[in-house]
Amino acid sequence: MLKKRLIGVVTVKNGWAVQSFGYRKYLPLGKPECLVENFDRWGADEILVQVIDRSLTERGPDFELLEKLGRLGLGTPLIYGGGIRSVEDGMKVIQSGADRLIVDALLHDDLSVVNSLGVRLGKQAIIASLPMSIGADGLELYNYRTKSKSHISEALTNVIEQGLISEILLTDWKNEGYPVSFDKTLVELFPFQKIPLITFGGISNVKQMKTLFARSNIAAVAVGNFLNYREHSIQEFKDTMASATLRSPSYATENSLQADV
Amino acid sequence: MKNITIGIIDYGMGNHASVEHSLRDIGFRVRVSKDPAQLDLVDALVLPGVGAFPAAMSALYELDLVTYIQEQARLQRPLIGICLGMQLLVSASFEHEYTVGLDLIPGEIIAFSDNDVHIGWNTLECSYKDPLLNPSDGESFYFNHSFVYQGPAEYQIAVARHLSVFTAAIRRGSVIGLQFHPEKSQLAGKVLLKNIIKELVDA
Repeated sequence: MLKKRLIGVVTVKNGWAVQSFGYRKYLPLGKPECLVENFDRWGADEILVQVIDRSLTERGPDFELLEKLGRLGLGTPLIYGGGIRSVEDGMKVIQSGADRLIVDALLHDDLSVVNSLGVRLGKQAIIASLPMSIGADGLELYNYRTKSKSHISEALTNVIEQGLISEILLTDWKNEGYPVSFDKTLVELFPFQKIPLITFGGISNVKQMKTLFARSNIAAVAVGNFLNYREHSIQEFKDTMASATLRSPSYATENSLQADV
Repeated sequence: MKNITIGIIDYGMGNHASVEHSLRDIGFRVRVSKDPAQLDLVDALVLPGVGAFPAAMSALYELDLVTYIQEQARLQRPLIGICLGMQLLVSASFEHEYTVGLDLIPGEIIAFSDNDVHIGWNTLECSYKDPLLNPSDGESFYFNHSFVYQGPAEYQIAVARHLSVFTAAIRRGSVIGLQFHPEKSQLAGKVLLKNIIKELVDA
């Protein structure tokens, strides 16, 4: 049976891992590679690294960071987002060690690149990031660069409905970073119910996770700040949930492997 | 076992660094090369891959590696294909367009039904016919694909379930294909890699 996933999120700004609050306030956490290494050790199902200032400053993907992460020899699948402008960028990110890409700015700038990335890498490698909120007129997509909100465009709708991406990161951007605040109405109102969702933003306890995982279209829950407040948080979440829909917590030790080598 | 050297075939498709790290962690020596003269010096070959089938076959042709890999399989050298690398081992694929593969294992690569994708950790169910993967039976591994193997049952050595049963691993002699990513499957992946490489090289 395909398990649902608990994804550890590392948000990077100015080269540092940060706690992010509502897409507007940031507190430093430390070196991104240290947090990523922790998530790998604690048995995250995937690790998402989002470098939030690369598209804003048009500097392209953070290959220096990817090189550092590559040297860790991660045993956990890595999703990278930040600064991807072209197919060449995407290819290089994969060759630098990421398993999948997440795109946000590209969804506003050039959907043809998103399409080409899917053709070149396979759609399973492409995730669309949609920071959403609920306005007077229904669901609104947030553009973090212009700080503006709009409805999902017809062109983006076509890309999603044509199956050119594999999953959507549905972020409650207003509540991101604040405990027990994810607005599940976002999921209920979300217009694309057939595409697998990764939910993110304000998910901090087991009850929320259980509620979200109970929905068939939610493939994964992503957690950022709340995984960094204590050691082995991923195993603890999995232990507490004790859910057959999740992979059992792993307490990786190399001893059993090395003994025979 | 400490002296086993693995050759990772570097044809520019995807991320071989993770495979290299994983193999080194297990204790193998590793060479990454596209040069047949270098690859001739290793005990087993690994063909990794991320991306689309037609581009991958083109890359293998451009580097003049197709005939080399086919010849190594004929010589019974252990060869392990991972994810896209597994798909390249078979006769052909329908990804984007019909493309002939390395044709080392009969079968074809087709899309999941309903344009579906299969992403995440899934349980491996091993075939009683071939004990190679049995130590990993019931373990979870990381999958990330939207195309899947379809071919004679005699080559299927493990399956997984996603809406329906699909092939997770194939084998023909010393040629093994793994649809999942053992190098991204934490300890379970390393144990599996260690077991199959040791078994194939010692055979």
